[in-house]
Amino acid sequence: MSITLEQVSKHYDGTAAIKDVTVDIADGELFVLLGPSGSGKSTLLRAIAGLTPIDHGRIVMHGRDVSGISVREREVGFVFQNYALFRHMTVAENIEFALRARRVPAAERRRRRAELLELVSLQGLDRRLPSELSGGQQQRVAVARALAHQPRVLLLDEPFGALDAKIREELRRSIRAIQRAVGITTILVTHDQEEAFTMADRIGVMDRGRLQEVGEPRELYARPKTRFVATFLGAANLLLGRYEGRGVRVGDSVFPARHPSGSMPTPGTEATVVVRPEDIVIGGGDPGSGARRIGVARVSELEFVGSQERVRLALKANAATVSALSPEAGELVIEAARSAREAEADPLVVGQITPIGAKRIHVLPTRISSLRLIATSDAAAERLQKSRLVRDLSEYMHLTPTVHRARDGASMARCLSGLTVVVPEQGRDPRRVAALLHTGARQILVLLRDERPVQRILIYTQPARSARDSALSAAGSLLRHLDVDATLLVPADERLLYGRRYRDLLDIRRSALQMHGVDVRTECFTGDIIDDLKRRLHEDVPTLLLVGVTSTNGRRALTRGLTELAACPSCAAVLLTSARSDAERGVAAPTFTHVPVATAV
Amino acid sequence: MYARTSWVQPSVLPGFGLAFGTAFAFVTLIVVIPIAALVLKAGSLPLAELWRIATEPRALASYRLSFGASLLAATLNAGFGLVVAWVLVRYRFPGRRFVDAVIDLPFALPTAVSGIALATVFGPNGWIGQWLAPFGIQVAYTWVGVVVALTLIGLPFVVRSVQPALEEVEASLEEAAESLGAGRWTVFRRVILPTIAPALATGFTLALARAVGEYGSVIFIAGNLPMRTEITPLLIVIKLEQFDYTGAAALGFVMLCMSFTMLLAINAVNAWRTRRHRGRR
Repeated sequence: MSITLEQVSKHYDGTAAIKDVTVDIADGELFVLLGPSGSGKSTLLRAIAGLTPIDHGRIVMHGRDVSGISVREREVGFVFQNYALFRHMTVAENIEFALRARRVPAAERRRRRAELLELVSLQGLDRRLPSELSGGQQQRVAVARALAHQPRVLLLDEPFGALDAKIREELRRSIRAIQRAVGITTILVTHDQEEAFTMADRIGVMDRGRLQEVGEPRELYARPKTRFVATFLGAANLLLGRYEGRGVRVGDSVFPARHPSGSMPTPGTEATVVVRPEDIVIGGGDPGSGARRIGVARVSELEFVGSQERVRLALKANAATVSALSPEAGELVIEAARSAREAEADPLVVGQITPIGAKRIHVLPTRISSLRLIATSDAAAERLQKSRLVRDLSEYMHLTPTVHRARDGASMARCLSGLTVVVPEQGRDPRRVAALLHTGARQILVLLRDERPVQRILIYTQPARSARDSALSAAGSLLRHLDVDATLLVPADERLLYGRRYRDLLDIRRSALQMHGVDVRTECFTGDIIDDLKRRLHEDVPTLLLVGVTSTNGRRALTRGLTELAACPSCAAVLLTSARSDAERGVAAPTFTHVPVATAV
Repeated sequence: MYARTSWVQPSVLPGFGLAFGTAFAFVTLIVVIPIAALVLKAGSLPLAELWRIATEPRALASYRLSFGASLLAATLNAGFGLVVAWVLVRYRFPGRRFVDAVIDLPFALPTAVSGIALATVFGPNGWIGQWLAPFGIQVAYTWVGVVVALTLIGLPFVVRSVQPALEEVEASLEEAAESLGAGRWTVFRRVILPTIAPALATGFTLALARAVGEYGSVIFIAGNLPMRTEITPLLIVIKLEQFDYTGAAALGFVMLCMSFTMLLAINAVNAWRTRRHRGRR
């Protein structure tokens, strides 16, 4: 590996600019850091260069830990956004700067300068001043200057930001060609996804200081793992589907889909579905295309953009056709794109009613696909909306929470979907909270006291693969976005419970990282889980308790002590994930519902 | 279409006529007429007489002191003023605002007050003078005192010119130099200094101009011995007190010519540098 970042973090005045970035960059690779402004991508690049010190983590270059080494000794070439050319020096002096600083003899400097000017095709401009060059030429001088001392890593910070579109395209190609010719490991920062797609070997997408996803451009576009990446890279229609049979139902059809964790989630589980505009088929579609019908929509807008026609369609929402952006909306806006040829063959008019379908869909692996706040009183509704955890989750996960007012348990049960968020309500029978799990909710977040931000997640699950997977993938969704640590508690007597080899413990951590993209610590406990948790909750660290259950009767043992645990002041919230529908089994309500009324205010 | 022959640049701002008229009248009234009067007075002398007065040994000695001490003071200010500006811009320390305000004091203080203060402090029994005396260093009533006084009054010019320029040096320039392997001193010498050079030159010029014309603070510390510590402005005043108006005008004319030549030369060098570095577009 050329560059390895391990859990690199940087805080400014208490807020994190970079959080826990871990990534390997291969020799000779062109790696693009892509993200909106303020996502921390430039800070990360500066940290790699050594221009910004990091608070935590390690930066390794070619096997050497450079975390504490100054920019001078890191042997990197850095190209600044504004080029930072020395305006009082000629092009030749600029390029030779690094060589003079290293006391390279004049003859050698001249030779190298000629070589570099040829590389960036600026021969004969040696004697010019930067102010006498065009923007594109200045940019190439900056690249030549950064390469003069033959660094092993080239870092470019928004190198095309200040140039107009035509020159930009030309320069992209030439920088890519230079990078290939020199074979230098390169990291480029940009906010322009087209730039990232055309140049990158791999793209790392950043949002709010976290490296959300890393992958090859095509892979990231076709199979994003998070909502953010799905919507940030190109246009995307986001829908809520439900697992059914061997796939996911969206509208009128079940699309074949597999959950990345390998095990198929319980039927009825909500899933976030991404459909790219170019995969939407308008009209019947020819039978060979393999498109499946979603529903009947009305054409609301047509836009001709040369090579393509963009179509906006309005689709009536129903139980199986739900927008992931606003699950409550009565109508979904579907964006479609078709080639100019298709548009010509089958012209549309605004207002026309037409069946629509999709050639393919992509299901996001995240287990948390929507936030449903459910309250039976005004006070509870207000508390839910003011909750810090709800606010953070909806903001960071790009979800819009919807509030449901339920009059009683029965009407509550009808609202169950996605991540159900409740507070134990005062003066009401707390059994209702449990009734939700009983009636088929798969994820219930019970907010206890979350004035302070949650700092850690403690996970314990029933000893069944499905329980653990559902808990870990929910943890994965949370960890990607919240600044917390997660610990999975595993009984020390694993062999007995799992009936398998104890080595499993390490495998859990690895598989959690691979499948759910979550780095959890695993810790063993002996004896009673409730006692162990109570001991851990004794520390004054706001904690989210994540409990994975299945519908087997063993779960009663697991939830037995929740009332006690919920009473601990550092227990901020409890998240229950259920791997299989409880309704099918008719399991009795768990005892945790006896949450003391005092905590419910 | 007709070609516009006017030398007035088209501008979005209206009122060129009014603005130009006001500026022209103001400069004429305040600068040009008094100087013209001086030139006329000096011109009333026969050329040989003018030459005789201007090249009297006492006058020559005063030129040497005035211009020599001013150059030395301005040079000292350029060096130390740069350091002061650097400290004020680059570091945050308690009392920074206070120091920043103190810099301007020589602007506001009556020059006679600073002259008397300097003479007291640097006198043989003064706070600083008493420590220098045993080493045979005498500041007050020698040419050294003149340089000290001129340095004091010139300092704010350099600091106030360099400060904004230093503030505007882009951090990325220094970072670029560092990433290319330059040490701190190299960064300063090859990147920062050339960038702020025009501002430093301006500060130097202003300090020099002010020093050449300074009168009030110098006469209290200089001792005013003819041929040794007598500055040209003082010599002019002496001539005026003796009702030798033409003599005074002759000396004034010489100063005018020398100062003008000097400022013109510095500005020319500066303009050449600027043109070289900021684009012959």
